[in-house]
Amino acid sequence: MLHTLPMINKTWMPRLAFAPQNTAPRGDTLVVIFLRGAADVLNMVVPHGEEAYYRLRPSLGIARPDYIRTKKEERVVDLDGFFGFHPNLYPLIEAWDEKQLAVIHACGAPDESRSHFKAMELMERGVEDERGPASGWIGRHLATLNTGNSSPLRAVGMGTSPQRSLSGSVPVSALRSIVDFHLGGSEQALAQMRAALNVVYQNDEMGQDTLAIMDTLEKLDPLTYHSKIPYPDSEFGLALKQTAMLIKAEVGLEVSAIDLGGWDTHFAQGSVNGIMPNLMKDLAEGLAAFHADMSDFMNQLTTVTMSEFGRRASENGSLGTDHGHGSMMMVLGGNVNGGKVHGAWPGLEEGQMIGPGDLAVTTDYRDVLSEILTKRLNNPATNEIFPAYQPVIRNVLK
Amino acid sequence: MTLSRRDFLKLGALVTASTALASCAPLYRKLSGELPVAAWASLNQFDFMALNRISFGARVEERERFVEIGLQNYLEEQLDFESIDDFSCDLRLSAFTTLHKDANELEAISNQLFDGYDRKTVPNELRQATLIRQLYSKRQLYETMVDFWSDHFNIFIEKGECFYLKTVDDREVIRKHALGSFRDLVFASAHSPAMLTYLDNHVNEKSHPNENYARELMELHTLGVDGGYTQQDVMELARCLTGWSVKKHFWLGEFVFRENQHDTGVKNVLGYVIQPEGKKEAERVIEILVAHPSAAKFISTKLCRRFLADTPPPEIVEKAAQTFLQTKGDIKSVLRVILLDGFAFMQPKYKRPSHFVLSALRALNVETDGAEINKFLFRMGQGYFNYPTPDGYSDHSQTWQGNLMPRWQFAFDLMRNEIKGAKHQLQNLLNVLLTETLEEEVDAVAALLLGAPIDRLIRDQLIDSVTSAGASPEETLQIITASLIASPAFQWR
Repeated sequence: MLHTLPMINKTWMPRLAFAPQNTAPRGDTLVVIFLRGAADVLNMVVPHGEEAYYRLRPSLGIARPDYIRTKKEERVVDLDGFFGFHPNLYPLIEAWDEKQLAVIHACGAPDESRSHFKAMELMERGVEDERGPASGWIGRHLATLNTGNSSPLRAVGMGTSPQRSLSGSVPVSALRSIVDFHLGGSEQALAQMRAALNVVYQNDEMGQDTLAIMDTLEKLDPLTYHSKIPYPDSEFGLALKQTAMLIKAEVGLEVSAIDLGGWDTHFAQGSVNGIMPNLMKDLAEGLAAFHADMSDFMNQLTTVTMSEFGRRASENGSLGTDHGHGSMMMVLGGNVNGGKVHGAWPGLEEGQMIGPGDLAVTTDYRDVLSEILTKRLNNPATNEIFPAYQPVIRNVLK
Repeated sequence: MTLSRRDFLKLGALVTASTALASCAPLYRKLSGELPVAAWASLNQFDFMALNRISFGARVEERERFVEIGLQNYLEEQLDFESIDDFSCDLRLSAFTTLHKDANELEAISNQLFDGYDRKTVPNELRQATLIRQLYSKRQLYETMVDFWSDHFNIFIEKGECFYLKTVDDREVIRKHALGSFRDLVFASAHSPAMLTYLDNHVNEKSHPNENYARELMELHTLGVDGGYTQQDVMELARCLTGWSVKKHFWLGEFVFRENQHDTGVKNVLGYVIQPEGKKEAERVIEILVAHPSAAKFISTKLCRRFLADTPPPEIVEKAAQTFLQTKGDIKSVLRVILLDGFAFMQPKYKRPSHFVLSALRALNVETDGAEINKFLFRMGQGYFNYPTPDGYSDHSQTWQGNLMPRWQFAFDLMRNEIKGAKHQLQNLLNVLLTETLEEEVDAVAALLLGAPIDRLIRDQLIDSVTSAGASPEETLQIITASLIASPAFQWR
């Protein structure tokens, strides 16, 4: 539009060539939580029934639920006699008992690069290898399903830049803080700025969306959002709280992508206390608050957690863990086959693990996401969303 | 030659507006002819883009110089950065006394907690100095490369002792070798206490090695993820690097090789048998890595992505990689290929937040100490040295789209003089031109920010809409200038 850079308007954003093939009413709101840095899932959902776990982790291992020489609050919280939560995931036990929380263990992607950046990219694009489409899996979900919803807040990436998984769809905005999403100045100054922005962004979808979001959020007053449930005072807690606000305000939110980073724990990760236990606390308290806050909406809401890969089964010499393979996913919602650890457990003995001693993958992450997309989001186009992959439905959801 | 009063005024105002003017030659030349209304509109789109790639946005006097001597000479001038006098930038930096201290002293002042120092002093001075340099240094290509390598060898300043060690890394690794040899750069980085701390090699001991740094040294620093190494190579290199650590007591924060923590067995990396030689083992592997064709290709690709296009042109990558191999990683030689042969392949790139902010500050001759501006960079998602993972801030346009609001906030706050310690000099700049109408002023501002005036219809629409919203002529120009900074066109370089 501003003729000075005429070529930019055509190339400025990758767009999908195909129109939505499916029309369906909106399904659940999907909240996708990415644990960046490869979370050490063996210390989150601990296989306390495995002899090898304790052999491989003499310092970092979490004590068995019945190991009386360790204080009770430092032992694994048993789930099914074989697996148990890290004590800092205890806040999730309520959702587990209500059967609204499922775990899929030994879950992950086939990529064995053990590179964070390659693994995250492939996973967020939802592709088998680099040759797959450049857009993200959530982006393709939004593009292949017409829900009749034209809200600029159809999908939101919480934080300062939209997640890769969201790319390639309708323009997606990053949203760090609802309170700060406005321009400053007097009413008259605002009107002048608004007038100027309207002119320079008259043919620009992203700018128009930002203006529309500004209008929508202006009507929400976060200060009046009273929830009796306290969220953790963290970026993650804020992201979940704002997701809850947007859902309750019915602004058309279909997908919220949230990151929780810091899981790359090569050094001094901590067993019961420390870096990683603090992350688990943030995760569990945040999810528990969200679950309680959204209890009336659980039938229209599915939350999933994922991470790019898992960590080495054996601890390293600096009380941390190096890059591994198999990971774990959690699914939270009113229609989950919860209170259950899904997935075949491959074991931690020699010969059962892969590579330099890593948990194997027995469930592809795309199986879980495909089930959510088809059963809860009314989108059957999994062959477009996860090209060259034939998902297996694992009955994680009803 | 006689000077008319009007010409004289123009000259005086231009010198005031750009105190850092390098040479008066182009001015005298201009004075002999008719000065166009927009004195800085003479850059064509290609030159404007090129200048935006080798700087954090062009200042008026840099445009003059570029037009005067042409791309090739301008590049040579910039590559020979040590010959560029940078007195006024150095003067501004003299307030930041921590920049020159060694680790031991930095640690001491960080923990003494008096005299106005605390744990935030050292990292904040580095952040402020970085902004000051990008804004005021005349060595713009050098600063662009410092920025590039700071991402390539990313260190998260908030991790452990990095909060003061990064100052040493910035000085002794990145700035020292930014336009030197890639081999020296990797070598220095491998000995950098900040890097060894950030990637956990300081605790890499023989009993059970820590693979973190070894992996990133191959994946992110040299070969690239598909550069031909295996998990086994990572583990073997980690063994070579056992004992590479950081002193904890005397000469705290200095590099140390702990012999007693080094694995003394034979290693095998990338098919090379590495005989037990203590510290020399990892040094041998580094020599192998920096001379590897995968490194030449990986570094050339990243440089092309920074300077040319998100999808780098394969023929230029190939040519740059050849030069990389022939010159053993001479960074200037590789840059010559990319900038001289490659500019023809330039594609628009979305400005990263720092480039967006800096290009506005530079175009408008903003006077600032940088402290408050840094807060905007955080909100836009690019605080200096604040990226947690070792891949560094993204250089892909797509990453940065979709967070317009903080950019708009910055544009309007800046033009309404609402940012503490930052004052724009729009009026001084315009005084040079003796513009008479608002239309002329908007044309001039657009030429300044975007390289050329905007479409007349849009210009008039802008003026109409802002004036109808009740703005005075002075406010109108400020709001329109802000909206041009906020506009889609200014988001691209």
